[in-house]
Amino acid sequence: MMSLLGDYTSSKLSVFPKSASSFSGESDWVFHFISIVCVIFFIPIAVALFGFAWKYRKAKGQPADSQVDHNTTLELVWSIGPSFLLVVMFYFGARGFLDMRSIPEGAYNVGVDAYKWGWGMNYGNGVIHPELHVVAGEPTKLTMTSKDVIHSLYIPSFRVKKDIVPGRFNYIWFKAMEPSEKVMTDEECKQLADKDKEENLSWDYDARQCTPDGYNFYDLYCAEYCGTNHSEMQTVVVVHETQAELDAWIKKYSSRGDEPPAAYGAKLYERRGCKSCHSIDGSRLVGPSYKGSYGTMRDIVGGDPVKVDENYIRESILNPKAKVAVEQGVAYQPVMPSYKGQLSEDDIYSLIEFIKSLGDASAAEEASESPAEEAAEMAAEEASESPAEEAAEMAAEEDAEAANADTEPVSVE
Amino acid sequence: MSAGSVPSGYEVNDPGYPTPQENYLTNSKGILSWAFTLDHKRIGMMYLIGVTSAFLLGGLLALGIRLHLFAPDGILFNNALFQWLAPDKAPNDIYNQVFTLHGAIMVFLFIIPSVPAALGNFLVPVMLGAKDVAFPRLNLSSFYLWVGGALFFVMALLASGLDTGWTFYTPYSTTTDSSVILATTGAFVLGFSSIFTGLNFIVTINTMRPPGMTWFRMPLFLWATYSTSIIQVLATPVLGITLLLLIAERTLHIGIFDPEYNGDPVTFQHFFWFYSHPAVYIMILPAFGIISELISVHSHKRIFGYRFIAYSSIAIALLSFIVWGHHMFTSGMSPITTIIFSALTFTVSVPSAIKVFNWVATMFKGSISLTTPMVYAIAFIFLFTIGGLTGLHLGTLATDMHLHDTYFVVAHFHYVMVGGTVVAFLGGVFHWWPKMVGKMYSEAGGLLSAALVFIGFNLTFLPQFILGSRGMPRRYATYDPEFAPLHQMSTYGALILGVGLFVALFVLLMSLYNGKKAPANPWGGATLEWNCTSPPPFYNFERPPVVGDPYEFGDIRWDTELDRYVKVEPQRERVPLETPAETPAHASE
Repeated sequence: MMSLLGDYTSSKLSVFPKSASSFSGESDWVFHFISIVCVIFFIPIAVALFGFAWKYRKAKGQPADSQVDHNTTLELVWSIGPSFLLVVMFYFGARGFLDMRSIPEGAYNVGVDAYKWGWGMNYGNGVIHPELHVVAGEPTKLTMTSKDVIHSLYIPSFRVKKDIVPGRFNYIWFKAMEPSEKVMTDEECKQLADKDKEENLSWDYDARQCTPDGYNFYDLYCAEYCGTNHSEMQTVVVVHETQAELDAWIKKYSSRGDEPPAAYGAKLYERRGCKSCHSIDGSRLVGPSYKGSYGTMRDIVGGDPVKVDENYIRESILNPKAKVAVEQGVAYQPVMPSYKGQLSEDDIYSLIEFIKSLGDASAAEEASESPAEEAAEMAAEEASESPAEEAAEMAAEEDAEAANADTEPVSVE
Repeated sequence: MSAGSVPSGYEVNDPGYPTPQENYLTNSKGILSWAFTLDHKRIGMMYLIGVTSAFLLGGLLALGIRLHLFAPDGILFNNALFQWLAPDKAPNDIYNQVFTLHGAIMVFLFIIPSVPAALGNFLVPVMLGAKDVAFPRLNLSSFYLWVGGALFFVMALLASGLDTGWTFYTPYSTTTDSSVILATTGAFVLGFSSIFTGLNFIVTINTMRPPGMTWFRMPLFLWATYSTSIIQVLATPVLGITLLLLIAERTLHIGIFDPEYNGDPVTFQHFFWFYSHPAVYIMILPAFGIISELISVHSHKRIFGYRFIAYSSIAIALLSFIVWGHHMFTSGMSPITTIIFSALTFTVSVPSAIKVFNWVATMFKGSISLTTPMVYAIAFIFLFTIGGLTGLHLGTLATDMHLHDTYFVVAHFHYVMVGGTVVAFLGGVFHWWPKMVGKMYSEAGGLLSAALVFIGFNLTFLPQFILGSRGMPRRYATYDPEFAPLHQMSTYGALILGVGLFVALFVLLMSLYNGKKAPANPWGGATLEWNCTSPPPFYNFERPPVVGDPYEFGDIRWDTELDRYVKVEPQRERVPLETPAETPAHASE
C-alpha cells in the first residue's frame, strides 16, 4: 500500500512534487485522507443536487410532491455526524504540525538571510552561499531572519514553509530523505559555466536541472509576496549523502584562496544577490548597472553628483541609503539592504575590483585612444601591480581574517 | 371566474395588482432626482451600476493576470505595448500592481457591497413590506462614501499604482513607494460606507418588521443580511483603526508595525485578519441568503430546515470573529495558539455544511423550474461545496504548512468568492431583475451565460488546486516551466468565464429594450416583494401587504389563462360581519 502511494506520488501526474523529507509522507497521507473524506461527501451531494434537479423538474404550475419542511433528527445527524471526522482531521493535522515545530537537539544549523530578492545561506566561517546544502537523514535546523520585508521559505518537496520576519528569528527544521544525485561531472559544469561567462549569462537551473556543482536539486521558493522580483526569489536545495561530502562542498566556497580579487568579486556578485538588482551589461534593473560605472560622475538624491570611486562603492554597500543614485532624472528605489557585517573587507575589495574590471572611466580618459575595454583591463593589471594597492590588499586580507574570526560559527561541529 | 389550473375547492383571491401610473423609476425625472434620491430602490440601483463597473474593472485586471501567466516568463506585461505605455516600469512591477488592484477592487469595491448594498438595499424594505430603510439619508451617504472610496482607488491607480497586495502587509506596505496612503484612505472610507449600510439594516430589520412578521417568519435573505450587518458593524471599525495605524506608521514612524522602529509586523497581520476574516463572511453570508430564496422559490417547496439555516447564519457571524489566526499558520505564532486557531476553524465548517444539506433537501420532491436563477443556484451549491471542502485541507495544520500561500489557497477562495458569492449574486440579479426593472430577460440567453460561467470557472480554478499542491506559490509574475500546462488551461478557462459574464451582462441589458413586461410575481414566490408591481411604485406597496409565511407555496397557483401566478385560497364559507348577533362567533366553529 505504502509503495503504491510512493509510486503514485513520484509520477509526473501526481498532485504533489517529489516527496523528499521525513514530513512529506505524513503530510501527503493527511492530504489524501482529507481528500477521500471530501470526495465521499461531495459525490452524494452532487448526485442528489443534479439528480433532484432532473428528477423533480416539473411544468409550470405543478405543485411539489411534498412540502415537508424539517426533520429534526435528520438535521441533527448531518450537523453533528461529520464533526467526528473533523476531529480526526484536526488531530492528525495538529500531530504533524507539532512534529514540524519540535526541533530536535543537535540539528545541523544553517543561518538563512532573506532579502529582496535572494537568499544567503550561512554555513559559518564566512561561507555564505545562495544554495541550501544539507545532509540526508540528518535533521537540519534553519535559523532565519530577513533584512527588509517579510519573506517565506518554502520547499515544496519537503512540505515545509515558514515566514521569515524582519527583526526576529524564525526557525524551521526538516530531515531530508532523498539525496541529490550528481548528474553532471565537474568537467561538464565548468564548460557550461565558462560558456555562460562568455555569453554573459548566469547559470540556468531550470533548463539544466542541475546546480553549477553538478547536483540535481529541490526547488526553494519565497512564498510571501515581497515586491518586484518576488517570483525570482528562488534558490535550490541540494541534499548530500554524507556530512563529509557537505563539508567538502562548504570548504570549496570557504575562501577565495589565491584567486584574483576581480574573479572572486564576480563570484560574490553571483552568489550574494548583487546580480538580482545590478546588471553587468548596462541594462537598468532595480539598481544601477555596474558596467562602465567606475570612475563616472553619478547624480544622487539630494546632493551634488559624486564620483563612483572605491569610497563611494564601499559606502553604497555598507550604507546603501546614504547616496541613492539617480539615472536620467529617475531615482532608484532605496531598497537595497545594508551588507554591514555580511561582507568582509576582502569581499568588498574584491567586489570593487570586479566593478572596475567592467569598465573604468578614469582609466579610459587617460588612454583615450585605445578601446575602453582594453583600457579597463590594463588599468586593472596596473592596479594589481602597483605596490600601494598590494599593501591595501594585504591589509584587507588581514581585516578579512579578523572579520571571519569575529563571525560566530553558525554550524555545529 | 377564470379558473385556469386552479383546482376546485379554491378560489382566486388575486387583485391582479393593476399597474400604477408611476413606478420608482419614473416618478421623478432628471439626473438630480437620482443624485439626491432617498429612495432605497434607486440607491440600490445606483449601487448595482457602481459595483458592476467595479466588477468589470477588476475582471479586466484578472484577465490581464491570466493572459500574462500564459507563459512561464509572462507574455503580456513584457510585450511592446506595455513597455510603451509604462516605459519606466518593469514587467514584474506591472504584474504586481495588476494583481494588487484586482484583489483590492474585487474585495473592497465589488464583493463586500455587491449583495448587501446593491440587492440588499433594493430588497430589505420590500421584503419587510416597508416603505424604506430606517435611515434613508444615511443610506444615500453610504452610497456617496462608496463613490468617494472608489475615487481614492482610482487616484491610487493613476498616481503611482499600488503593489502591496490587497492585504497591505507590513513592513512592505510601510516601505514601498507606491500609493499606499491613497489606497488605504480609500479602504477606510469604504469601511464607513459598509458600516452605514450594516447599521441601517440592523435598525430596519429590528424596528420595521410588519405586524405578524416574527423573527422566524422572516425570509432567510433577511436573516443572512442581518447576520452580515452585525459583522459589518462590529468588525469594520477594526479595519479602520488598522489602516489609520498603517498610515501613521508610514508617515510618522510611530513604531508599531515596522521593525526598523521596533514595531512588530505580525501585529499588523493579527489586526488585519481580525477584520478581514469576518469580512470573508460579509462576502458569503448574503449569498447564502440569496440561495435559500432561489432554491425554495424555484422548487416551489418550503425551505427545508428554516431554523437550522437561520441559526447557522448567526453561528457563522459569531464564529467568524475567532478564526482569523488561520491566515497566519506559517507566521511563527506559538504552537499552542496555532493549534487553537486550527480547532476553531473546523467549527466554522459545520454551519456551512448544514446549509448545503438543507438546500439539497429542499429540492427533494419539489416542483423544480430550471430557470436561469435556479441553474445559477445549483451551480452555487456545486462550486461552494468544493470551495468549502478544500478549506479542510487548509484548516488542517500539517497540510497547510505545504499549501499555505500557494495556488491551492487561490483556488480555494475563488471557489468560495466567485463560485460562491459571484454566482449567487448573478443568480440573485436574474431572479430579482424583473422586479427591479419590470422586464423579463431572455431565458435562453440567461441559461447560456450560466453554462459558460460554470464551465469557464471550473476550467480556470480546478487546475489551480493542482498547481498549488504541486508547489506553485501565489503572487508570482513568472514561474517554473513545469507549471506551464496547468497555467495555460487556467487562462483558457478565464477567457470562457469572461465571455460568460459578458453574455450575462448583454442578456440583462437587452431585456431593457426588448424584454417582455414582467408580471408582479414571475416565479411564484411567497415573500412580500412579489406582492407589489414590477417595478414597484415609489412607496413600494399600494396598500400594506398581508404578511404570510414566506415559504408557503400552497396558495400560489399558475393560471394558464391569465398566464401568471395568482394567489388562491381555499373556498370557505364566509360569515357576513353584519350578522354577528344571530350566530355567535364561537358557535360557528
